[in-house]
Amino acid sequence: MMTDEPVAETPSPDQAAATTPAAEPGIEERAVTVTEWMADRGIFIFTALLILAAAVFIDGFASLTNITDVFNRAAPIGIVAVGMTFVVISANYLDLSVVAQVATSAVVLIAVSNEYGFVLAILAAIVIALVYGFVNGVAVGVFKANAVIVTLSTTFIGLGLLRWVSGGSIYFGPPDGPVRVFGSTRLGPIPLSMIVLVAMTLLLSFVLNRTTFGFLVKAYGSNREATRLTGANTAMVVIGAFVITALAAMVGGFVLAAFSNTAVSSMSTGFDFRALAAIIVGGTSVFGGRGSVMRTLLGVVFVSVLTNIMVLSGLGFGMQQMAIGLLIVAAVSVDALARKAGTS
Amino acid sequence: MSQTTSEPTTEPEPQQGLALGAAPGDLLQRLRTAVARRTEGRAVALLTLVVITVAIVEPRALTSYPVTLGRIALIGLVALGLTAVILMGELDLGVASTLAVSGVVMASFESLTVGIIVALLGGLLIGVVNAFFVVIVGINSFIATLGMLFFLRGAAFVISGEQPVRVANADTALQFGRPLVGPLTPRILIFIVVFIALHVFVTRMRVGREFYAVGGNREAAYDAGIPVVRRVFTGFMISGFVSALAGVINAMERTAADPTAGGTVLLASFAAAIIGGVLLNGGRGSIVGALLGAATLGILQVSLTLSGVQVDVQNIIIGSVLLLAVISDPASVRRVMARASTFLSERSKPQPAG
Repeated sequence: MMTDEPVAETPSPDQAAATTPAAEPGIEERAVTVTEWMADRGIFIFTALLILAAAVFIDGFASLTNITDVFNRAAPIGIVAVGMTFVVISANYLDLSVVAQVATSAVVLIAVSNEYGFVLAILAAIVIALVYGFVNGVAVGVFKANAVIVTLSTTFIGLGLLRWVSGGSIYFGPPDGPVRVFGSTRLGPIPLSMIVLVAMTLLLSFVLNRTTFGFLVKAYGSNREATRLTGANTAMVVIGAFVITALAAMVGGFVLAAFSNTAVSSMSTGFDFRALAAIIVGGTSVFGGRGSVMRTLLGVVFVSVLTNIMVLSGLGFGMQQMAIGLLIVAAVSVDALARKAGTS
Repeated sequence: MSQTTSEPTTEPEPQQGLALGAAPGDLLQRLRTAVARRTEGRAVALLTLVVITVAIVEPRALTSYPVTLGRIALIGLVALGLTAVILMGELDLGVASTLAVSGVVMASFESLTVGIIVALLGGLLIGVVNAFFVVIVGINSFIATLGMLFFLRGAAFVISGEQPVRVANADTALQFGRPLVGPLTPRILIFIVVFIALHVFVTRMRVGREFYAVGGNREAAYDAGIPVVRRVFTGFMISGFVSALAGVINAMERTAADPTAGGTVLLASFAAAIIGGVLLNGGRGSIVGALLGAATLGILQVSLTLSGVQVDVQNIIIGSVLLLAVISDPASVRRVMARASTFLSERSKPQPAG
C-alpha cells in the first residue's frame, strides 16, 4: 500500500526546497520543532482559542441551550469518531461506510422496536454492525483491498439496502418508549449521550493502550510487514479495527435516534468526513501507527464547536463542507510536514 | 480492441513453458502468454456476461444504443481520467465533485464560451492543487482528494446557491445534446477523442509510458531519472481536466447544472477502472480496460433503469460489483488461496512436539 512507500521518502530537490528553505542546520532544526509542535500540541491551543473566540464574538454561543445543543450533536459524531480512530491508526485511511452504518442502526432501533420490541431491535443492530465490520474487515484485511474503495462500495450497498427496505420513510418512536427516555434524560446541561461518548472514549482508550490487540493495531499501522513477521494474525487485527468501528457506529446511531426519537435513512449525511476531521485534527496520524482515542475526543470538541459557530453565523451546508474539507487537508498537511521534517 | 504486442505492463513476464518445442504447442503457448499479459481479462469476461444477460433479459438496452452509448461516455470519460492517476498508484476521489462544480461554474457565466473555458481551466487547477498536496506536501492522495471531494462539493453548493443553475444560452446548449454524426452526440464523440488521445498517450508517448514506471516502483522511477513530481502533476491535471469536461458536457446536455450532479459517477467510474484491470497500487492497467469497464457498467445501468429497477437497488448492484472487483484482483485471490492452503496443510499436519 501507499503508506509503505510514501511520497515523502522519495526526496526530490524541489521537495526538499519546499519544506526546508534554509540549509543552515540551526534554522532547520527550529523549523522542525515548530511544525512538530504544531502537529503534536497545536490542537489544545486551537480548541481553547476557538471556544474563547466563539464565547466572545458569537452571539448565543455561551448560552445553556446552545451548549446542550453542541453536546447533543457532538455525541453521535464523537462516538463514531472514537471507534473509527482504530481504522485510521491501522493505516487504513477511514471507514466511509459509517454513514450507512449509523443510519441503519438508527432506523433499526426505532423501526424494529416499534414492531418487535426494544431488545430485538438492539440484537438486530448488533448483528448488522458485525456484518459490516466483518465484510469491511475481511475485504481489507484478508483480500488486502483498498479500504477507501471497499468502504465506498459498502456505503452504496448499505444505504441502497436501507433506502430500499425503508422506502426512505421517517420512523417515529413512541413518546414514552425507552429510546425517548434515554434521549431526554440529562444531568444538568449534560445529556446522557455525552456520558455515553465519554464512557466509549475511556473504554476504547483502554482497548488501544492496555490490550495486546490495541498494541497490534498500532504496530500494524506503523509497519505491516514487521507485524506480520512477528507471527501476529494481521487479518484479525484489521477485522477487529473494522468491527470496533462498526460497533461504535451502531452506538452512535442509537444516540442519534434517541436525540430526536426519529430515524430516517438520510440522517447521518456528513458523518464520514466530520468523524475523519475530528480524528485527524485530534492528532491521530493518517499515515497510521500513531494516535489516541483521547485526542479524537478533543478533535470532536474542536469540530463540533467549529460547526456550531458556522451554524450560528448562518453559513449554509456548502460553506460548512468547504470548511471541513479545508480543515482535513490543513491538518494532514501539518502532520505530513512534521513527519517529513522528523524523518529526513 | 487492439491486441498490440507492445505492452504497457511493466510486469516481468515469467518465461514459462519454453520447453514446449512443437510448433502448434508453441503457438498456443504464445497466444496464452499474450492473453495472460493483458490486464483486461476480467473486463472482457464481465462485459460478455453482461451483454449476453442483457440481450436475453432487457434487449432494449442494446437496441436503444444511443442512450447506452451516452451513459458509457459519461462514466467512461471520468474513468479514463481516473485511470491516468491510478496508473501512478494515486487516487482522485474528487472526480465527481469536480464534475459538479465545473458544471455549476460554467452555468453561472453569461457567455457559454467563457464559462466552458473557465470551467476547464478550473479542472486543471483542481488537478494542480491535488498534485501539490500529494507530491509536494506529501499527503496520501486518498486523504488529499477526499478533502478536495468535500471542499468542491461544498463549493458547488455555495456557487449555485444550493439550487440547479440554468445554462444562460439554453438554445446552444440544447443543440449540444443532439446527434452530430449518425447516432453520435457530441458527448460520445468527445469521449472517443479523449479515449484515443489517452490511449496513445500512455502506450505510445514517453511521458505517458513513464506513468507506469512511476506507479510500478516510484523509487526506481526516480533513480532512472524520470521526473516523478512532474508526472504526478500531469496525471492529476489530466484527471481534473477530464472530470471538468464531463461536468461541462453534463450541464450542456441538461441545460442546467445541478450541484449534486455526479453522485453515482464516483462509484461507477471507480468500478469501471477497477473492473478494467487497473491496479489500485499502480503500474498495471490500460485505458482500453477502463473503456471495457465503463461499457460493462453503462450497459448494466441502462438495462436496470429500463427494467424499472429503483436507483437504490442499482446502487446495491453496482456497489456489489465494485466490492467484488476490488477483492477479486488476481494478486489478492492468489494470496488468499495460498493462505488458505497453508492453513489447511498446517491443520492436517500432526502438531510437532514443543
